[in-house]
Parts: sequence; structure tokens; C-alpha cells
Amino acid sequence: MRRESLRDLFIAAVALAVLLVLPVLFPQPALRDFLVYVIAYGLLAMSLNLLVGLTGLVSFGHAAYFASGAYSFGLLMQSGHFSVPMAMLCALAGTALLALVIGAICVRLKEIYFSFITLAFQMFIHSIILTWVDVTGGDQGLRGGIPRPAFLGIDLSQAGTLYAFCAVVFIVCLLIMRQVWQSPFGYTLRMIRDNPARANFLGVNVLRMKLGIFVLAGTMASMAGILMALFVSGAYAEFAFWTMSGEAIFMIMLGGMQVFLGPVIGAFLLQTLNHYVTIYTEHHGLVLGLVILAIVLGLRRGVADYARDWLAARRTTREAAALEAKPAKKAVS
Amino acid sequence: MSENRGAIGRRMLLGGAAAGTAMLAMPHVAGAQAKVIRVGMPTTLSGRIAILGTSSRTAIRYAFSRINEAGGIGGRTLEVVDRDTKGRPDEAAKITRDLINNDGCEILIDAESSAGSFAVHEVVRDIPVLCLHTNSETSSLTADPKMLVKHAFRCARQGVHDAVAGGVYASAISKERGLKRWMTCSPDYAFGRDNTAEFLIFAKKFDPGIEVVDQIWPRLFAPDYTENITKILQVKPQAMYSALWGGDLVSFVEQANLYRLFGNLTFFSSSLGDPPVASAIKQLPQGIHTAYRYNRNYPAKPANVAFADDFTKLAKHEPTNWAWQNYVACEFIAEALRRTNGRTDPTALSNEISGMELKTAFAVDEAITMRASDHTIIGYPVPWGITIPAAPYVKDFVPVDWAQILEMEQEWKKDKGFA
Repeated sequence: MRRESLRDLFIAAVALAVLLVLPVLFPQPALRDFLVYVIAYGLLAMSLNLLVGLTGLVSFGHAAYFASGAYSFGLLMQSGHFSVPMAMLCALAGTALLALVIGAICVRLKEIYFSFITLAFQMFIHSIILTWVDVTGGDQGLRGGIPRPAFLGIDLSQAGTLYAFCAVVFIVCLLIMRQVWQSPFGYTLRMIRDNPARANFLGVNVLRMKLGIFVLAGTMASMAGILMALFVSGAYAEFAFWTMSGEAIFMIMLGGMQVFLGPVIGAFLLQTLNHYVTIYTEHHGLVLGLVILAIVLGLRRGVADYARDWLAARRTTREAAALEAKPAKKAVS
Repeated sequence: MSENRGAIGRRMLLGGAAAGTAMLAMPHVAGAQAKVIRVGMPTTLSGRIAILGTSSRTAIRYAFSRINEAGGIGGRTLEVVDRDTKGRPDEAAKITRDLINNDGCEILIDAESSAGSFAVHEVVRDIPVLCLHTNSETSSLTADPKMLVKHAFRCARQGVHDAVAGGVYASAISKERGLKRWMTCSPDYAFGRDNTAEFLIFAKKFDPGIEVVDQIWPRLFAPDYTENITKILQVKPQAMYSALWGGDLVSFVEQANLYRLFGNLTFFSSSLGDPPVASAIKQLPQGIHTAYRYNRNYPAKPANVAFADDFTKLAKHEPTNWAWQNYVACEFIAEALRRTNGRTDPTALSNEISGMELKTAFAVDEAITMRASDHTIIGYPVPWGITIPAAPYVKDFVPVDWAQILEMEQEWKKDKGFA
């Protein structure tokens, strides 16, 4: 196993341990609920960043797969014929298929045309959810709750167990995305982002690569939707509305798109801001807008990207200073 | 030296992170036996339907101030903790959990619209606290036995009750005036379509001669109704039913006025009876038939007029339908707390509220009853009246017999498989 992979595994294990220990140190349920929210939205933003940051495909319709995961999982569980893992696998497979069909059309387009066709597909799915009332519950959402029968001794109806389950799934998904991020496939995607013509000349099947990452990103978003459905015990048409995709883009902008964990940091920041601002004012839109404006105009990139650049600049300055100091020492000696 | 000052130390960073986590985890209030009983209120306080939340909140604050000024309940006072869900069901679920787990709320008044109410309902299924839904009119929230949650009740009018009342009232007029050609114009979403379908079921039941010649479905929050109004003028129906509400209804009526639509049409509206809606229309046409939402003169009781006066002073507008519903919810909670001597145990409170007959200014007769079988209220005002251009905007209320509503409701439940 490569050294980087071992390092990633170690960091993932530490992160998981921290996530699992936090509710023990701070047993208030509010913190647990908050973290589940960050996990679900963070996963959505991370999956979108596979398209935006890694491949240069700005999708405006990514929440369609979030909703697809939530609805298919919820409906399968409500049918009473599926266990939680089986329903999750079916929901993931179904969403992957949906992403494959939609992606096969979308990835043929570039730039703004790509963005708008993804938005069009999302609004199409949103309309289906609204109008197919018998199945989806329309704008009332899936009614009657989502059953969470115990499996392998894991009872997700217990809030603590649900949190631990979300944390484990989150870390596993991050590891999968990290492997993609660091793999030759990931570097090929970066090349497609930076110069698709050159990638094509080098023999890369650009369409197939784009389609591959589109399906993977959709499947990961679907996982985020499943976690959210488990948490709120329902699925709602708002999950498939364009504002949900917009929020994921906000998280990426806030956190940064070049640092792997940037979108999660963005999700954490946005949810924290949202949480506290909503407590104190009804004009949360104005406050959030001002904060985001300040970050975008002030830092001109996401927080994590800014921090990375700042650290790199500092390292360069130190190295330059060290280089300058060496000849001086030599001269003295 | 300068390097040390410029760098953010790891310890400082870790310390900051720990402090942040502790802040997030810190509960805002103390435990269950605090002197103040905190009542959580998830609702929509921003966006196009903000008046739903703001008028509900004013009514609750007013009710609690009256209860507290009278000495509270068993020495404990009531306080409302409101939060904006932005009309998003997932946000409603999260905020409801926060209100219970973080803000120490022992009771919930769910003043969300329907989609949010279903989300809140699932939270209280998981975390048992007494919850009164005060703004959702979707019948299945309580009519569907699968939805029954022991500690959750609805203190709001219900779609099927209004549909029966509307059907009885409209069919009497259609028979009397020979109105055969009907048309509908309702917003294109689940509530608009369900409400219209239920109204037509009962109108046709009581007057089988009614024929629906066309139905139009403008999208929700549409700014321009010219196309719809032109269509109505082409079809030339004798009567029309509309489930448009709020700002959509205001826009529709004002634009229809330009085409003199109401001169040759008998118009039935489900929502024009809300005083803030009626008052927002510059030239409210005379003679539109509307369902009751709220009126200071109906039920004709001094306590109702006093409520309208006091509420108007606080909110700077007349009460909405949501206002009286939330006020009555507070009355139910206060009465249940009195009976449990201030204990907020959800089972004890639910046992008291279930089947409670509450004497209130808003009851058609003496009391509004929280029906034990499906946790919903009956005996609230469901009359229809006709509009007049100036306050109080609606007059000549015609009551509908609740015995007839309950009989029809039972049939409807059987048809739906709910009974």
C-alpha cells in the first residue's frame, strides 16, 4: 500500500475517533444533531466538488441525486420489504443509474450549457416529485415517517447509534473520494479540467472520464440524501429544488474547492452561521449574504484554499530567509 | 520574535476549536423544573408567507402574556421560543430537535405550514413532547390513522371540514340560482388540487346538476394572471371556485377587477375571509362568496372582539386565521397545565387535552372540542359569507351544521380507507 494511502487511512481513523468521542465529551443532543447535519450537507458539497473543483464541471443540478437517494431509500423502507443496508444499496444503485442516464446527455455539453442542462434535469425531477403525489406525497413530502428496523444489532432509531452510523458512513465516503482525488483517474480529471483538448490528444476518452466522475458524484450525493432522510425521517420536494444545489455551491465557495476537505469546512461554516444567525434574527439571508460577500471579496477564494495558500507563502518566505542566512553564515565562518 | 508573534500557535488553534465545540454544545437553558415553561415554536418567519409565522407568534405572545399576568400556572410562567424554518421541512425537523434538546422547550406549538408540519410530526414521534399543530389544514395529518402520534394534536381548521361546509353552502346557491356551468382556478400544487377536488366532491354531492366545464391551475406565487383571466372570459362559466390564497389571491382579484370579471360570475373563494388578505385588495368587489377564516364579528362574542382589538394593537393588522388557531392552542395548553398542576409530562398533558372541551371565544357554540379519536378540533367556525368593500370585509355569515360536517367526514374517511 502506498505511503499516502496509509497516511490517509490513519487520518481517517483519527477523524472517526474524534467524531465518535465528541458526543461522549459533550453529551448534549444538539451537538450531535448539528454534526449529523454537517455530515449530510458536507457529503453533498464534497460530492459536488468532484465535479466543480476536480473536473471543472459546474453542476447546478446536483441536489437531484441527493433527493433521489432520500426518496428511493424512504420509499423502499416504507414498503416494509427491505432492511436498511439493502434499501441503501438499492437507493445508491438506482441513483447511480439515474446519474448515468442524465450524465450521458450532460457531459457532452460544456461550460454554461452543461450547467443549465443539469439544472433543467433537476427541475424536471423536482416537477415529478411535486406531481406524482400518490408515490412521493407531492409538496407534503413522504408522510408517515421512515421505519428504521434494527439490523446486525444496530438500531438506528436510537439517536446516538444513528449519529455513529452517519459518522462511519461519512468517513468511508470521504476515503473513497480521497482515493479518487489522489488516483491517476483524479489527475486525469484535473488535466481535463485544465486543458480538455490536450487530454484528448493524449488519448484520454474525455467523455467517458467525465461520465465516470458524474456517476460517482451522483452516487455520493445520494448517500448524503439517505443520511438526511434517516435523520429527518422523511423526504421532501425541497431536497430536489435548485436552492439546495445553490447551497452546496455556496459551501464549496465558502470552504474552498482546491483543498480536499474545503467543502466540508464550508458546510460547517454555513451550518454554524445559519444556526446562530437564525436564532437571533429573521433577516438571516441578509446577514449570511454579507458574511459570504466579505469572505468572497476579502479572501477571493474559499477559507481552506486561502489558508493553504497562506501557509505555502509562509513556507516559501521561511525557505528564502533560510537560504539568505546560509551564505551569510558561510561568509562569517 | 516577529515570527512568533505572527504565527497562530497549534495550542491556540486547538484551544479555539475546543471552545467553539463547547459553545455549540452548551445548552441555553436549564432543566425541566425551571420556573419558566418554554414553549418551542418552529414556524416560517421569512419569505412570501412570513405573515403565517408573524401573526401566529403575535397571537401566542398575546395569549401567554395574558396567562402570565393572571399569575401563570402553578407559579410557572409561559415563554415562547420562536425559530424561523424558512419554510423548509428539513430545517423544521432540525429546528424542532434544537428547540427540545438545546433550548429546553417542554411543549411545542408547531406553527408551520403543511409540509413542515409533517416533518415536525415525525420529530415528535421520535422525541415525545406535547405538540400542537396550529397551521396545517391538510386532512391526512390527523385523519390518516397511520399518522397518529400519542402526543401530537391539530388545533387548526381541516381541509375536509371546509370542503363539506363549502359544498353545502355553494350547492344551496347553485340550486337556487341555477348555476350549472362551473370552473375552478386554484394554485398548481398538492394543497390547491386537493382542496379543489374535495370542494367539488361535496358540491356535486349536494347538487348533482353542477358541471365543471374547465379547470385552470396557475402556478404558485405567479405574479400575472392575465392568461387565466382571459381563459375564464372565453369559457364564460356561471360560477367559479378558487383555492388561491394570500398574495396570489390579492393579485388575482386586482387583475380580475380590471377585466370586470366578477360582474357576470358567481365567485366562491376559500381564503378571501382572512382580513389581512381582504384589506390588501384596493377595490374588494362586493358579493364574492368566501369561506370564514377569521372575523371580529363572528362568532358574535365580546371576547372575540376584545381579541381582535388587542391583536390589532400589537400586530398593526387584523387577526389572521392562523392567529385565532394559535391563540386557541395556547388556551388548550394552559388548561391542560392547570389540570396537571404545571407538570409538563407529555403523557399527562396529552391525556388531559385528548377529548378536552375548551370554552373559548372562537367556538361556534360553547366549546371547541379536541376529538380524542383523531386528535383534531371540531366545533370551530366554518360559515360562508359575502364580501363588502370596507372593514370587516365579510358579512351575512351562513353557518353550516357541524352534525352534517361530521357525517360527511365519516363517509369521506371510509372512502379514503381512514375509517
